[in-house]
Amino acid sequence: MVFTSHIFIFYFLPFVLLAYYLLPRGWRNLFLTLVSYIFYGWWKPWFVFLMMLSTVVDYACGRTISARGASRNRRLGALLTSILANLGLLAFFKYYMFTVDNLNRLLLLFGSDALPILQTTLPIGISFYTFQSMSYTIDLYRGEALPVRSFSDLSCFVALFPQLIAGPIIRYNTIADQLDVRDHTWEKFSSGVGIFILGFTKKIMLANPMGHVADAVFAAESPPVLDAWFGVIAYAFQIYFDFSGYSDMAIGLGRLLGFRFPKNFASPYRAESITDFWRRWHISLSSFLRDYLYIPLGGNKVGTSRTYMNLMIVMLLGGLWHGANWVFVTWGAYHGVLLSFERWRGKKTVYSWLPRWGRVGITFVLVLFSWVLFRSPTFTHAYHYLGAMLGATPVEKASFLLAAQIYTPANLTLMALCAFFAFHPAEADDWVSSLSLARAITLVVVFVLAIMQMFTQAFNPFLYFQF
Amino acid sequence: MPRVYQIVFTGCFLTLIFAVPLTQVGIEIYEGQRPQVSELFLHLPTEANLRGFESEVEDSSWFAQFLRLWMQYLRFELLWDLGEKVLLGRDGWLFYRPDVQYLVEPYRLSETHHAAGDDPFSAITTFRDQLSRRGIRLMIVPIPGKASIYPDKLTRRAAAPDRSISSHTLELISRLKKAGVEVIDLFEPFRRLREKQPMPSGQAYYLRQDTHWSGMTVSIAAGVVAQRIHNLGWVDRGSTQYDLKLVSVRRRSDIIRMVTVPGIERHFPAEEVRCYQVVHRASGKLYKDDPRSPVLVLGDSFLRIYQTDEPGSAGFIAHLARMLKHPLASIVNDGGASTLVRQELSRKVDVLRGKKLVIWEFVERDIRFGVQGWKYVPVFAD
Repeated sequence: MVFTSHIFIFYFLPFVLLAYYLLPRGWRNLFLTLVSYIFYGWWKPWFVFLMMLSTVVDYACGRTISARGASRNRRLGALLTSILANLGLLAFFKYYMFTVDNLNRLLLLFGSDALPILQTTLPIGISFYTFQSMSYTIDLYRGEALPVRSFSDLSCFVALFPQLIAGPIIRYNTIADQLDVRDHTWEKFSSGVGIFILGFTKKIMLANPMGHVADAVFAAESPPVLDAWFGVIAYAFQIYFDFSGYSDMAIGLGRLLGFRFPKNFASPYRAESITDFWRRWHISLSSFLRDYLYIPLGGNKVGTSRTYMNLMIVMLLGGLWHGANWVFVTWGAYHGVLLSFERWRGKKTVYSWLPRWGRVGITFVLVLFSWVLFRSPTFTHAYHYLGAMLGATPVEKASFLLAAQIYTPANLTLMALCAFFAFHPAEADDWVSSLSLARAITLVVVFVLAIMQMFTQAFNPFLYFQF
Repeated sequence: MPRVYQIVFTGCFLTLIFAVPLTQVGIEIYEGQRPQVSELFLHLPTEANLRGFESEVEDSSWFAQFLRLWMQYLRFELLWDLGEKVLLGRDGWLFYRPDVQYLVEPYRLSETHHAAGDDPFSAITTFRDQLSRRGIRLMIVPIPGKASIYPDKLTRRAAAPDRSISSHTLELISRLKKAGVEVIDLFEPFRRLREKQPMPSGQAYYLRQDTHWSGMTVSIAAGVVAQRIHNLGWVDRGSTQYDLKLVSVRRRSDIIRMVTVPGIERHFPAEEVRCYQVVHRASGKLYKDDPRSPVLVLGDSFLRIYQTDEPGSAGFIAHLARMLKHPLASIVNDGGASTLVRQELSRKVDVLRGKKLVIWEFVERDIRFGVQGWKYVPVFAD
């Protein structure tokens, strides 16, 4: 189910809120688990069992890890079982076809017969919930969390619908206490409503129209220079407002149900370096990879060359996490190289002497180049697109007609609004934290407009659903 | 924010999200229907049933239907936005977005011919071979889209003299010609006419707010096709005499009708179009098809406009008939020239009895976006 759909806003959400607040506190986690399974199963009912399987395995491993008197080997074995089970699921559904496809290319190169490929469907949100589920056993093993009181609490944590499909990635130790006890106040509920409305508006009013612009330009045969830049900027806004909009809605919905989730974005396009960008973009993934991969690899405590290698490993795997495609891996490598370069210079950029707007501008352009890789289906496409941005690709056929599709009054107005909000320092959480009457009225008006706009749009899932 | 405001704010939000489903259920009960939402519990929760339920709920929503129109109208009034299918050009010209997408986006024609292939080249050459075995010839008439002929009315960028549009269609025409298929290239004559013979003020070779050609252009296109048929000697000139009668009609834009917002439609009054009706000289009656004709014309709405639409008997078919001096047979399928029209032909294959020539017309965007693609159609049972 998609947050920005009729069925969610007008049927699922009212039902969940009504029932949740009518139920006694002791029943609420179980209820949230059940409705989260409905939410998840709405897309493909059978995939609920996959999530249940992941939960059962992690619950059993968690019990073993936290059992009194369990030997170190037994605890380690349980941890490895949990990690292998989760990564195994991820590997099979997300990377199996990619691996066999690449293997077949190699086999064909050496004149062997290709292996048959079993077609699999990627379960929506699997990259998110397997990471979350795994964080439970890792936190237990590390002694950073206590075991859950009941199976339904762990099921609730893994399946919790607000952040189930596209994050933020919530680590178990972040909300372990909230699963047990959480307060419900008017202040929390109203701020949740505010954040939810802002996220909803970002997706409907900004991300979706920018997506149409980006789609038109990225689909063009050979866009002229200006159009190519306009297209990639539109994509940069689309992915930011789409993903941060989803995160805001997740955080807002969490508050409606008494949870407090950490924020996932901190004005990333105001970053002054790539290092700074990764402190602000998809914070929950960056910190997950830092705490569960970079630091266990030794982080920056194992010598200079190993630090660079660790950085590259983290970014390559981060790229691969986004999708089973070499363009994502290259996207990760691009960021890894830039991060390593900045670290080599003492976490400073070569343009650190510029005024702030210059540093922000150059960082934004560097990020734009990476978005070309991220958005392009193939290397060839990315190569042509980058060529178009640099004026190296001749404008062929009728590509100059693209102007009529993209430079419309509506698109130009929305592009200006996107630029204003993307480079504005306040995120949804900051804006709602000091909610005045005027802001509250604005939010209600904006919500009505966004709902009206939703009615005019075709089905438009979130970009991060594919990951 | 004081607590009372928090409560009021939350109340507004909850009122909005609860009011829509409750009002919907209320309206449905008032109208004597079973509430749509109850359908969820009447079927197994399979993927297909859930998708169906979700789209039913959206489609039947009173709020969605009511507010959608208002939002589209608001966007038009504030931002001149006409929705996803329509592009606003210069000087009040409107364009159908797929027409432009076809020109802008890459399209690779299949390199090889497959008898059952789903591509225009294979479909056309296969159809040519099917007809040829019955002694019938095939002539292809791809119609340039409006954006190919009037790109400067879409964007100022195309106004420069060196900015002629290089359509994918020209590549298809070239490949078909190499494969021995008779293809009429209307791009060159239309562009030449536009350059050298500007239409009288207020008139153009294509309609300003519609996807189709103007009343005068159908006659020009028919002239080009008729001339080619005579040159090839494929069909004898008949003896039926027709006269022309100048009429004016007011045509409502098909592009604006796609927007389906009455408030927006009012902003675009019907266009006045001048065209010539073809009249049978002896009887004084308007042109009528004759199924026994040696020529069958297949195509889409470019054939329907002015012919069966107002004013009638003033479309491409009537004008071609006047030039060939005998009535024609025709099968027209709106938007379905790529596959549907051949499927229709295969269902009434007797139409082909006694035919010498089949003329197959389609608008160029159908090369990529044709409804049901370019499927192989076994026109003859054997």
